[in-house]
Amino acid sequence: MPELIKVDARGMACPGPISALTRAYRKAKNGDTIEVLATDPGFKPDVQAWVKRTNNELIELTEEGGVIKAVIKVTGKRG
Amino acid sequence: MKKVLILGGGGGGAILANLLPEEEFEVTVVDRDEYHVFQPGNLFIAFYGDSVEKYRRPIRTLLKPHVKLIRDEVTEVNLNDRKVKLKGGKSLEYDYIIIATGANLDFDAIEGNREILESYGDFYSTLENAEKLHKTLKEMREGRFVIAIADPIYKCPPGPHKGAFLSSTLFERMGVDVDVVLALPFPHAYPSKTISDIIEPELERRNIEVHTFFTVDSIDVEKKRIYSLEGEELEYTVATVIPPHEGPEYKVEPSEVKDDSNYLKIDKYTCLIEGFDDAYAIGDCTNAPTSKSGVTAHLQAEVVAERLQGFDAKYSGRTNCPLITDGMGLFIISDYDHPPIPVRLSRFKRLLEDLFVATYWDAIRYPELWQPIFHAYFEATSPAKLGERGW
Repeated sequence: MPELIKVDARGMACPGPISALTRAYRKAKNGDTIEVLATDPGFKPDVQAWVKRTNNELIELTEEGGVIKAVIKVTGKRG
Repeated sequence: MKKVLILGGGGGGAILANLLPEEEFEVTVVDRDEYHVFQPGNLFIAFYGDSVEKYRRPIRTLLKPHVKLIRDEVTEVNLNDRKVKLKGGKSLEYDYIIIATGANLDFDAIEGNREILESYGDFYSTLENAEKLHKTLKEMREGRFVIAIADPIYKCPPGPHKGAFLSSTLFERMGVDVDVVLALPFPHAYPSKTISDIIEPELERRNIEVHTFFTVDSIDVEKKRIYSLEGEELEYTVATVIPPHEGPEYKVEPSEVKDDSNYLKIDKYTCLIEGFDDAYAIGDCTNAPTSKSGVTAHLQAEVVAERLQGFDAKYSGRTNCPLITDGMGLFIISDYDHPPIPVRLSRFKRLLEDLFVATYWDAIRYPELWQPIFHAYFEATSPAKLGERGW
C-alpha cells in the first residue's frame, strides 16, 4: 500500500528540511508520497535539486504565508 | 543537601559535576567506562599517529574529590519514581537527575558498515579504532580513501571535513597517490551554504573529490562499493562511513520523553526533559536542534549548574565547531537565532584550537577557573556581535 509520509520541518534552518526529507526517504518505498513543510527559504532550490538528483517526482511546490510545501512522489528508489 | 545524579562522565557530565558547590549538593556520577575520552583526539590519532594515551584520562582523576563516581551501566531510568537501576543490581534515588550519556553509534544499521569498521578502523568511534585507521592509511600506496555519512544527524558536523583535509595531508607527507573522497548527504559541501562557500576552494585546492546528496544506504564489501539512498555509487579502496546515531538505548520511563531516534526530548533553552522540573538532559543524547558537539554539552552543563542553584539560565544554542586543516582553522559559530556566520580560515584559529586541546583536561577539572576566559571568548565572538561582518 502506498503511504503518505508527512514531514514537518517548519522552523528548521538549512539544511534541516532536506535532512528531514532524507531521513523520511530512507523509510519510503516507490509509490509513496512525501509531503514536506518548511520555512527555510533555501529549501525551495534544495528540494528541486534533490528531486532531480534522486529521480523522484515533484508533484507540488508552493509557498503560502511563509510556509513552503513540497509534495514528492517516490519513484527513484532502487529495488 | 540536594542529591544530584549525573549519568555520564563525558564533557557535559564532568563539567556539571565539578561546577556544583559541595556545600549545597551531594553529587554522584555514573559511567560504564573507566576513561573519559577527548573525542576530537580520534582525528589526531588517525591522521597524525598520536598515541591513544594522550586523549583519555580516568574519569576519577577529572572529578573533584567530593564527587562520588560509580562505575556501572544504566539499565533503567524512571523519572516518575526518581529511580535509576544499574546493571550491577544497584538502585539509585535522586532529587535531580541529569542524563548526559551521549549518542550511540549504530554500526549494524547499514549493511557492510561493521565489516569496514573491523577491516579499516575509523576516526570517529573509539581511540582504538582511530589507531587502527592510522595503520590502515599508512599502508595505502594508491587508490581511493572514501569518507561517507549514513545519516544527516551526526556528532561534530565538520568531523568528516577534518578527516578529508587531514588525510590528504597525511597522504601528501607519505608521498603516495591516494585520492580523498568526501561524500555528504547535503546539497553543498557543508550543511550550511555559508560555510560551504568558504571551504570549497580549499577542498578544490587539495583535490578532495566531493559528492553532495550522497547518504549511505549500503556497502558491498566484496565489490568495494558504497551505494547511496539517492541512487549513486562510489568505489573505494579504504572507506569509513559515519553510522546512524541514536539516543540512549536503556529504558526511560515515561517512554514519551524519547523521540523516534531515542533522543531525549528537552526544552532547548532550559535543557529540562519535557514534562519534568527535576530532570535534565545535556549533550549528544538530546533532541536539541543544535550541533552535537562538545561545546554544546559544555554550555548546557553551565546552564544546568546555574538552574540547580536557582538562577534562570538559558542555553542560546551557541556552537563553536572547529573545522581544521593541517595548518589552518575556522570555527562554525551559530546559535538558535543566527545561522552560521561567515568565517575565514586562518592560522591563528588553528592555533586557538591547539590551545583548546592543550587546556582540555584542565578545563574539565577546574571549569570555574576557565569559565571567565571561555565566557569572554563566547561573548566577543557571539553571532549577534560578529553578524554579517564575520570573523
